[in-house]
Amino acid sequence: MKTKSGIPVSPGVAIGPAMLFGARGFRIPQRFVSVDAVESEIGRFRGALHKVAQAIEENQHVASQRLGEEYAAIFGAHLLMVRDPKLLGEIETLIRSKCFSPEFAASRVFRNYAKAFQNLGNAYLAERATDVFDLEKRVLHALLGEDRPELTHLTESVVILAHNLTPSETAGLDREKVLGFATEVGGRTSHTAILAGALELPAVVGVGGFLADVSAGDIVIIDGYRGEIIIDPDEETLSRYKLVLEQYKSDKQRLAKLTSAEAITTDSVRIQVLGNIEFPQEVEHCMERGADGIGLYRTEFLYLGTNQIPSEEDHYEAYCKVVKACGNHPVVIRTLDLGSDKVPANETEFVSSCDNPALGLRSIRLSLNNLPLFKVQLRAILRAAVYGDVRIMFPLITSLLELRKAKMVLNDVMDDLDEAGIPFKRDVRVGMMVEVPAAALLADQFAPEVDFFSIGTNDLIQYTLAVDRADPSVANLYWAGDPSILRLIRMVVDAGRTHGIPVTVCGQMSSEPRFIPLLVGLGLRHLSVTPIAIPEVKDLIRHLSSSQSEEIARHALTLDIARDVENYLRGEVDRIYPDGSIAE
Amino acid sequence: MSEPVRQTITVKNENGLHLVPCSLITRAATGFACQVEIHSATRKADAKNIFDLMGLGAACGTELTLIANGDGAADAIQKLVELFESGLEASSRRPNS
Repeated sequence: MKTKSGIPVSPGVAIGPAMLFGARGFRIPQRFVSVDAVESEIGRFRGALHKVAQAIEENQHVASQRLGEEYAAIFGAHLLMVRDPKLLGEIETLIRSKCFSPEFAASRVFRNYAKAFQNLGNAYLAERATDVFDLEKRVLHALLGEDRPELTHLTESVVILAHNLTPSETAGLDREKVLGFATEVGGRTSHTAILAGALELPAVVGVGGFLADVSAGDIVIIDGYRGEIIIDPDEETLSRYKLVLEQYKSDKQRLAKLTSAEAITTDSVRIQVLGNIEFPQEVEHCMERGADGIGLYRTEFLYLGTNQIPSEEDHYEAYCKVVKACGNHPVVIRTLDLGSDKVPANETEFVSSCDNPALGLRSIRLSLNNLPLFKVQLRAILRAAVYGDVRIMFPLITSLLELRKAKMVLNDVMDDLDEAGIPFKRDVRVGMMVEVPAAALLADQFAPEVDFFSIGTNDLIQYTLAVDRADPSVANLYWAGDPSILRLIRMVVDAGRTHGIPVTVCGQMSSEPRFIPLLVGLGLRHLSVTPIAIPEVKDLIRHLSSSQSEEIARHALTLDIARDVENYLRGEVDRIYPDGSIAE
Repeated sequence: MSEPVRQTITVKNENGLHLVPCSLITRAATGFACQVEIHSATRKADAKNIFDLMGLGAACGTELTLIANGDGAADAIQKLVELFESGLEASSRRPNS
């Protein structure tokens, strides 16, 4: 038994046989072959290439049918590459003269070409190295045979152990067959990590070199809560984890039964429970758990996933997917919240590089500073709004002037669309995030100018308490239950009530059971939570009464120390909802 | 033996001679018996070899010289010049569906 630690990026436990992927997805079994095997190895190599060419032809055909000739042309080019006589000559020469195995020879030659492309000094052309790596993968796959199935076509349940998974590989994982994964590299905010969370696969990244210690088929446990992987566990460990897994599954089943039940308190107050999402495919996770809509659609992934700035059509397609999947339910689309911790590699020029990015050019400030970028997104949102109940939300609004500017840009975009005769929805509701203390303090001034508020607790707490939660040396000073936070939330809710606009809480706070009675008691009727928390939040609400919640909120507001507030709230939740076991 | 045919052209397509343009050139050149080379200021490539062509790393605006030698050299040059003029993109025709 061996235990390795990494960074937990997606909770849950997975137990299953290991499937290994080396640095480029394949481990080359041997580098050399014996002299008398050379001719048969060359035959094997030609057979493999033939298979690869057939597969590419198939891709080309499908692409031309479904996508158009310009996409099919890419496969046409791949075909030319695998049939290139010079390339084949080089590989066969290495096999013949140096007794290299076909795998090793092919890998070397392909990589030499890839490296040459990368060194061309032209970013776009250098990207083509990826195409060469793709071919290398295909050829190795054909050489190594059917025992190395594609990630998308698995026949049995496995735990994936890899050097690295690309975001597209992660997104393509078969959720039915892949139980979880661990990678040697990667960090908490890598796209792979973000996707693992979205797919709800237990995952640990950044483990460091461990692939050499595992063989394919070894039983491996991935502990996505603690960030550990256990290779070849002993009986005791295995049975302990099997128990955790059973508990996890039965909790999930119990809560799954509640999806159709409305989130309604024992004294008949209906609470809207919405989902926070990042990717279009997460809508499904929300809807199957009985969400009342999408309360926060973060649109940053559109920018982070690629090397190119997304076009209006990229935005439009993603939004349409979400809006259509939601039917009549509301979808709150938050405009670009880039900057601070979320900076795409190639867009650093947009973002301030000062020492204090959380207070720098980010979010709505970035949008107002880059109007063309902002307008592209707004156009796409307005166009997608035709298909459902879309609402626009501006993040990080700090002053009224900023809000008015953003709304003016929105009006300009509407006029442009109108003039161009492009269909869009004019009467979309426009709201703002309340996440800067200045906005919370002046909520009564903002309220008449927006259709809704959404309290972003993560930033509100960071700015109010002046604590960066990601900094371990001060993380213990970060308290969602701080009296100042409670008071700010109450101010925002009161302003909303006075002016007749709805208020939602969409930060981490609303996904944590201990804060639910408090939030309901403060008067919140809309909670937007992480998809996995939806069933539990709804179930908890069904155990609450609004009068009891008001009592809890009233008492919490009298406590003067954050720790006391949180202890009190935790005690209350344990009393009201003793079954709660998943999140805590 | 006739003289080699030469022609200088400029790369017009936005992303330079990337994969798809190179594949179109290779396909066209392979249709001729003559030898066809493409020279940039610093490198030369066999027009019938896609890896060679990619290795030119020719970005938009790069000046290249096409040199054909042998049977059908003039036709080959004419065909390649037409290709370069047309922008070297695959047809963007959408499938009928």
